[in-house]
Amino acid sequence: MTTRRILIVDDELDFGVTLAERLELRGFAAKAVGGAQEAMAVLAADWRPNVVLLDLMMPGIDGLAALDLIKQHDPKIQVIILTGHGSTESGIIGMQRGLFDYLMKPVDIGELIVRINESDQ
Amino acid sequence: MSDNHARKSNCPLFCGLSGKDLSPKARYRCMRNSLLIVMLAITLIPLSITSGLNFIQYQQLLREDSQANARWNAESARATISAYLEKLEAAITVVIDTYTFEDLSDSKKLEQIFRQLKKEHQGLVDLSVVGPDGIQSAYVGPYGGLVGKDYSDSLWFHKALTRRMYVSEVFTGFRNVPHFVVAASKKDPYSGQHWVFRASIDTETLDRFLALADTEALEDIFLINDSGTLQSASRYHGDAMKDFQLARKPKQNDILIFEEMRGDSSFYRAVSRIQNTPWLLVLDQQGAEARKIWHSFKGRLLLTLTICFLASGGMVVWLSRFLAGKFREADETRDAILSETEHSNKLASIGRLAAGVAHEINNPLAIIGEKAGLMQDLVGLDQEFRHREKFLDQLGSLQNAVVRARTITHRLLGFARRMETSLTLVQLNEIIPEVFSFLEKEAAYRNIHVILQLQPDLPVIRADHGQLQQVFLNVINNAIDAIRNDGEIHITSRRENHKTVMVAISDTGPGIAPEILKNIFEPFFTTKGNEEKKGTGLGLSITYGLVQKLGGKIEVSSEVGVGTTFIISFPVYSEGSEGEGDDHA
Repeated sequence: MTTRRILIVDDELDFGVTLAERLELRGFAAKAVGGAQEAMAVLAADWRPNVVLLDLMMPGIDGLAALDLIKQHDPKIQVIILTGHGSTESGIIGMQRGLFDYLMKPVDIGELIVRINESDQ
Repeated sequence: MSDNHARKSNCPLFCGLSGKDLSPKARYRCMRNSLLIVMLAITLIPLSITSGLNFIQYQQLLREDSQANARWNAESARATISAYLEKLEAAITVVIDTYTFEDLSDSKKLEQIFRQLKKEHQGLVDLSVVGPDGIQSAYVGPYGGLVGKDYSDSLWFHKALTRRMYVSEVFTGFRNVPHFVVAASKKDPYSGQHWVFRASIDTETLDRFLALADTEALEDIFLINDSGTLQSASRYHGDAMKDFQLARKPKQNDILIFEEMRGDSSFYRAVSRIQNTPWLLVLDQQGAEARKIWHSFKGRLLLTLTICFLASGGMVVWLSRFLAGKFREADETRDAILSETEHSNKLASIGRLAAGVAHEINNPLAIIGEKAGLMQDLVGLDQEFRHREKFLDQLGSLQNAVVRARTITHRLLGFARRMETSLTLVQLNEIIPEVFSFLEKEAAYRNIHVILQLQPDLPVIRADHGQLQQVFLNVINNAIDAIRNDGEIHITSRRENHKTVMVAISDTGPGIAPEILKNIFEPFFTTKGNEEKKGTGLGLSITYGLVQKLGGKIEVSSEVGVGTTFIISFPVYSEGSEGEGDDHA
């Protein structure tokens, strides 16, 4: 079984890096980037993630726009929004654009892994 | 300008509209009084003016009628007396033309003529013949002693000599009894001198004729001469020959009518001359105000006016109370809506603030959580670490604190989302604990035990999560308010039948009286007015509206001294009913 790749896109880089490290401890290959542009650079560099954990409110390109870019790049990549600034509407819009799930920070690592596993089946 | 404004505000007529300094109760009382005064003025002033005009007009009409009546009565009496005299004059003319002085000086002949004339002319007392020297040569009648009397100094004799026919004033003469004479003179063809044939009539005859004119309104009727001596008996001025002065006299055939006073009451006096006599006919008739018809009219007018005043007054009092009540109701409605809007705005602001705070806290909380989590992971992996257990214990506490903080921020976000409307599938068993979590501190503080009996596997309903929260929040809040301190609230959920689920919320409060219970879902109906926690009267009304909007039903039953139960039921969601209620989303 190949190691599953997780890309964390969050302007709170400290959060992203820590979460990536925790995921790596649990057998995932995880990378954390601070914005949508960097995420697209990672994708372009041929590091294809299985799941992207995407923050919603980020400077520059916001989460929903980043979702569109990721889905354009590779529709098979599953995206889970992980945000502190959530609203019902943005969740519904995201779902309509191919979002797999919508989680509110702070999230329990166990619950997050359950969702990652569900998305990647 | 400010002085003017102050004066205007203090004006009692307008205080209801602009009296900002008055208490609400005084303001509405003042407004009611202002309306009362204005409406009374509007209704009663025209009514009074119309009645006054009617009064004056009818009085005028009655006066004109009384005057016309007096004129007609005077005319009629004058005509009666004139007709009598003309008939007598005609008879005397026939006698004097038929017979000579010598013929009439024969007592037998004269008596024969007297008997004949008496049959046709009532009141005829006697007949006599007076020669050119003034000595009465023949007489027939009750005063036999008059034969041979000398009338050469009598006024009537001289006047009779100068005219063919003469009607005298009333005088007593030799017989000393009031009477008048109708005399005619004739020239003796042999001597060329005039002799006189005369008839005496008693004044009672005149009285009888005048009495014919007596009508209901007639006060008095009598004759006088130009020198002011009564020629017939008067009801108020005595018998014939008494003095009576007339203020105004008519010329020739005119009938003069004027108003006179007798004591406090007025009457109309008609005065007219009787042609070819020395008499003036005087007729006194009741004034308009003394007539029965006038009293009757005044009575009817007063009665009508009183009824109209009472009816208008009653209507105006009712209307002013009604309008002031409506104004008050409208003001209270407006105030309650403003208060509710303010309350909603406050809630919305709190909601936005809560959402903002929750979002801002979530990010650092997530970092704390992840950092603590990573530390837990690393320490957990390092079996050699000296303080491994203690660290794991501390980090576990840290994670628990993060979870607690997350619960709070998520609850705050849930509260904020109540402002939004969207229909989703909702499990009532989840909503009730959520709502209760908002109120559990207050319930605990007031020593109120809340007992939840939620049926497992309750079917879901399709509703707006936030609105449902509001429904249960209102009802449970009311239950807490009703109990005040020390009591129980039972919240039970169960499936009623295959179509309906229901939630019953019972409290051990004081209960609600039946007359209050029937109004409990009316907008702006509140029983919390006198308490510290003032109600807007909209809570249960909004609840009722929300439940209906969501396709549900809310019922209340209560027993004073036992408690109150609200039963809220909703239709169970099924695939077939999915489309229903989408317009609320």
